[in-house]
Amino acid sequence: MTGSVLSDCEVLVVGSGAGGAPTAALLAEAGFDVLVVEEGPWVPQGTVVPFSLEQMDRQYRAGGVTVALGRPSIAYTEGCCVGGGTEVNSGLYRRPPAETVDRWRRTHRVAELDPDELIAIAREVEAELSVGRLPGPATAASEVLRQGAERLGWQHDEIPRWMTYPPGGDATSGRRQSMTETYLPRAQRARARIVSGCRVVRLHHQHGRATHADIERLRPDGTTERTTVRFRHVFVCGGAIQTPALLQRSGVRHHVGRTLAVHPTVKLAARFPDPVNTPDDVPVHQVTEFAPALSFGGSASNAGLVALALSDNWSALATRVEQWRHLSVYYAAITSEGRGTVQAVPALRDPVVTYRLSRRDRELLGSGMARLALLLLEAGADEVYPCLRGAPVVRRRADLAELTQRYTASRASIMTVHLCSTVPMGEDRQRCATDSFGRVHGTSNVYVNDASLLPDAPGVNPQGSVMAVAVRNVRHFVARERPRG
Amino acid sequence: MPPAPTPLLTESVTSAPLRAPGRAGRLSAPVAGLLLRRELPGLPAADVATVVGFVARRIDGLPSPLRLGVTLVAALFRLLLALPGGPGIVRALAERPLPLVGEYPRLVRSLGLAFAFETWPDRRADGSPPP
Repeated sequence: MTGSVLSDCEVLVVGSGAGGAPTAALLAEAGFDVLVVEEGPWVPQGTVVPFSLEQMDRQYRAGGVTVALGRPSIAYTEGCCVGGGTEVNSGLYRRPPAETVDRWRRTHRVAELDPDELIAIAREVEAELSVGRLPGPATAASEVLRQGAERLGWQHDEIPRWMTYPPGGDATSGRRQSMTETYLPRAQRARARIVSGCRVVRLHHQHGRATHADIERLRPDGTTERTTVRFRHVFVCGGAIQTPALLQRSGVRHHVGRTLAVHPTVKLAARFPDPVNTPDDVPVHQVTEFAPALSFGGSASNAGLVALALSDNWSALATRVEQWRHLSVYYAAITSEGRGTVQAVPALRDPVVTYRLSRRDRELLGSGMARLALLLLEAGADEVYPCLRGAPVVRRRADLAELTQRYTASRASIMTVHLCSTVPMGEDRQRCATDSFGRVHGTSNVYVNDASLLPDAPGVNPQGSVMAVAVRNVRHFVARERPRG
Repeated sequence: MPPAPTPLLTESVTSAPLRAPGRAGRLSAPVAGLLLRRELPGLPAADVATVVGFVARRIDGLPSPLRLGVTLVAALFRLLLALPGGPGIVRALAERPLPLVGEYPRLVRSLGLAFAFETWPDRRADGSPPP
C-alpha cells in the first residue's frame, strides 16, 4: 500500500446521491473548493438494464443482498455508485408531507423548519429533476392499481417521476433525471471534483474539529491503496447505513446509528388473463386510501423477479413462472413504529444492521397483504401469490380469510428500499445527533446531509424530503460561511 | 451525457471484476448445486454450473457480518453433505423454516431462481429449455 496526501480541499463531500449531489453542487456554485468522494463506480445511464441482476451487481452494495437482522430479518437495498440510490430507484417523487415536517419540528425540535420554505425548495428540485407525470397512458401493470382502487372506491393517484421523455414517447421511454444527469454535472461545471471507486474509511478529528480523512481505493487487482485528504469542512452523505457507520468508525457515536427507520414492505405477485408485465419499469400508480400508515404500489417484475416472488412456495407455484408475462409484482408498505440499529464493528468492513418490528407493524403488514390481494382480485387477477411461506393461492375473496389466518411476519418475505433516521437532526440533545442544520453535535465542521438526518421515515417515497432538507441545510451553511457583503 | 468524473488516481473503477469464488462461495457451491438441481431438475448441467457460479459470487459479495454468518452455516451444510445420506439430510433441512439455519437455503434458492429466470426467461418451470 502507498500513502500520500493526494488533494486537499475546502469541503469534502462523502457520497454522491440524493444528499451529496445537491450539497456538492450548491457548495461549488457558492465558490467552495469541493471534492466529492464516492465509494461506488461510475456507471453511465443506459449501460445496464434497469432492475437487472447486472445493475444490482454494479450499482448496488453487495449485489443488492443486504439484510437488517431481526425476527424477522428485513432485506434492504443500498445504491452504491456515482449518483447513489437515485440511479437505481423507481424515480417516484413525493414532496415532504406538511404533517411530517410539522411532526419533525415538534418531536425533535428542529429549529427554523418552515414547511413553506421546504415547499419552495421542493419546487426548485422538481424543476431541476424535470419531475412530471407520464406523457401518455400508464403501463398495464400500473393500470391494475388504478382499476382495482377505483372498483373499491379507494383513493389513488399517479405519482410523478423525475424523467424526461422524447417527443411522442410513452411511459417506458423516459430518461431518469438522476444525480448523474442533474446535480453532479452542475457541481462539475462549478469546478467540483468527483472521484469514484474510493471509500472514506475514517475521519480524523481533535477537540471537535475534523481535519482529514483516510480514503481507501480498491484496485481492480484486489489490492488497496490508501490516501489522505485534508479539508476545512466535511459533509457526510453516504446514506442511512454508511453515514452512521463512518461516523462510528471515526469515534462519533452520540445518538448515531440507534434509530434506523424504514418502510417495511411485503409483496404479492398476481397473474392476469392478459399480459401486464413491463420488465424494466415500475408502475406509477399508488393507492393511498390508508396512507400514511399503509400504501400500495408496483414493483419491478422481470422474469427473474417474478421467480423470486414465487420462490417461497416454489414447489407449488413453479409452473406460474412460465406465464411471467401475465404476472406482475406489487407491494404493501407501512410506516413503522419499530426501529433498528447500525453498528460499525472493528475488523469488519461493513456494519451490523438490525431492525425490530413492533406488534402493530406485524399486524399492519398482514392487513396490508390481505387488502392488496383484494385490490388485485378486483382489478381482474385470476390468481394472487402472496410472498409468504405456506401462503394459499388467492383466487376469490373467500380465500383472504385463509391468507389472514396463515400470515405471520416470520413467514413473510419483508423488505424495504427506504432507510432513514440514523443520525437524526434537531435541538433535542436527548435524541438528536446533529443540530437543526446537520452539524454533528460536539463538532465544529462535521455535517451530515442525507436521509440519515430525517427524524423518521416520512411515510412517502423519501427522496423529495431528503433533497429538500439537504438544499435547506447547505444554504444555511453557505449563508453562515460566506455571508454576503 | 455528462462528463465522466475526474478520477482520484490514475484509474477509476467502473465495475467489479469477476473473481474466483472466496471461501464462503466455495463452501456454498456444492450445497447450492444440490438445492438448485432439486428446484430446477430440468436445468442442463452446464447451466447448473453457471447458476451455482452466480450464487457463489453473490455469497462472496455479502456484507462482512452476513458473510461471516453464512460461511458458518454453509460449513455446517457442507459437513452434513459429506455424511452418509448427506444429500437427503441437506434437502430435508432445507425444507424446514429453522431460525438462522433455514435462511441459508432460502438465500441460495432465491438467488438461484432469480438468476436462472432472468438469464433464461423462456425456460420451463423445471429449468429445461423450451421445445
